Amino acid sequence: METVLSIQEISKRYGRIQAVNKLSTDVHKGQVFGLLGPNGSGKTTTLSMILGLIRSDSGAFTWFGEEPTNESRKRIGSVIESPNFYPYLSARQNLRIIADIKDKAPADIDRVLKLTDLFHRRKDKFKTFSFGMKQRLAIASALLGNPDVLILDEPTNGLDPQGIAQIRELILMIAKEGITIILASHLLDEVQKICTHVAVLDKGKKLFDGDVSEVLSISDSFELGCQEMDKLEPLLRTHPQFASLVPGPEKFVVTFLGKIDAAELNAFFYKQGIILSHIAERKRTLEQHFLELLHQNQ
Amino acid sequence: MIKLLRLELRKILTYKTFWVIIGLYFLFLASGIILAELIINSWVTNMNKQLPIPLPHITLYFFPDIWQNLAFFASIRYILIFPAIIVIILITNEFTFKTIRQNVVTGMSKNQFLASKLLFILMLSLCITIILKLGIFILGITHSEVTSFSQVITKTSFIPGFFILLLTFLVISFFFGFMLRNTGLAIAIFTLYVIIIEPVLSGVSKIPSLHLGNLSHYLPVNASLNVVEYPYLPVLKTIMGLRIQSSVSITDCLIPLLYSAVLIGIVFFVMAKKDL
Repeated sequence: METVLSIQEISKRYGRIQAVNKLSTDVHKGQVFGLLGPNGSGKTTTLSMILGLIRSDSGAFTWFGEEPTNESRKRIGSVIESPNFYPYLSARQNLRIIADIKDKAPADIDRVLKLTDLFHRRKDKFKTFSFGMKQRLAIASALLGNPDVLILDEPTNGLDPQGIAQIRELILMIAKEGITIILASHLLDEVQKICTHVAVLDKGKKLFDGDVSEVLSISDSFELGCQEMDKLEPLLRTHPQFASLVPGPEKFVVTFLGKIDAAELNAFFYKQGIILSHIAERKRTLEQHFLELLHQNQ
Repeated sequence: MIKLLRLELRKILTYKTFWVIIGLYFLFLASGIILAELIINSWVTNMNKQLPIPLPHITLYFFPDIWQNLAFFASIRYILIFPAIIVIILITNEFTFKTIRQNVVTGMSKNQFLASKLLFILMLSLCITIILKLGIFILGITHSEVTSFSQVITKTSFIPGFFILLLTFLVISFFFGFMLRNTGLAIAIFTLYVIIIEPVLSGVSKIPSLHLGNLSHYLPVNASLNVVEYPYLPVLKTIMGLRIQSSVSITDCLIPLLYSAVLIGIVFFVMAKKDL
């Protein structure tokens, strides 16, 4: 498999804070690679280093198997932090600057504007755009000239639900075209929905990386309740995916291994002659997941 | 190189602030040049009321002296500050809008980014110099009786001299822009330096008991402004034992060019070290 990006033990320290600590990872062609971690875990610092914005204290990385230069960055489309454009220029004029820097044909500008649903606003100044539109323009600029790799740093941050859905749809569409994507996010749910691979970061250190399905395989937990609570527990233990149980007087909190949904669970108990009076899925927070990942890691 | 310059022009040509300041600059420059003779002569007339031997009225617009006279007026620091502010704004804007980050991430190297700003400074200096040269030529043709071609071109070395002076002045503002990165701060400190700090330093250095000699000639803004010297009243200059500058020599340009090279070197070095 062709390696697009290879990072070897890069570190960056800001005063007392070790923002990135000997991080190594490889991204291969065609992957949708998630960089998952809470705020302050070193995601943006890592992306800033591989994009030439900040210097690493130690370590190295290669793009497309070569030493990184500004020429390699021309093959990468990126959206980092907030969308940064000239406020007094129109959407088109801003993209013209990007096309010039990247040595790409200006003919592609209209295509990416249409793709991001901004074509009708192409002549309007950037400063008149709403936040969602600014973010979409940033994505348009990243898509300009069909990059080999797309880097997205928290692309749905600060967007309304509709905006989030739009952007995610767009990312999935791009991924289908075979473009390698590196996505940094603090949202587990986002990474699960979009990515094929993931590296989990905390305090600048990589805790884990691998296939999304492997790394994030533990399913959410369920609250279960019924008339005859005493019969529930032994039955639960016979379930092939059963992991753990926290008993309570009226309901249990049960964790399963792998994916499982409420209907499946309900059917399982119904077949055994137990009618559940309470079933509720508990979304796990990223924090809980981290604790588990950390625990597994030790 | 053409690519970098074109990129820079794309950022500027539709920027309203740029045109407003350029407009103000040419307005001040033109009115300065046109009103200079009027102001000086009205001052002479006033003085003559008190003097036993009247001073002659001067004419600024005769060839060949017009080249030096008007190049000198164009080099007044209060007027030069306008294009310098443009340079500062165009640099600090890139930090304010974070577009420098975007430019670099998109595929520019930091050196290319700096080069594009220097090319813009070069082009701006060249354009202003050419416009000034044309203006002087037109004023000269309409005000003096031209007797020979050599009379017209004798003192034209003040035009390339003005170009070096302007270029250095703008490189100094380029330095302030990249070092301070903040528009308001950079404009304030640059203006403070040019209008107050350096004149004060220069004044202090001239106090004889300090034995600082010609130090004031070596301060960056002074050194560049000295390329085109105070032109008229040669009689007064002779009495005071000052040098009468009849053309711009290479040595006059040496110190400002050296300053430009050093400041540009510092900016490249610091930008290479610093994160964006």
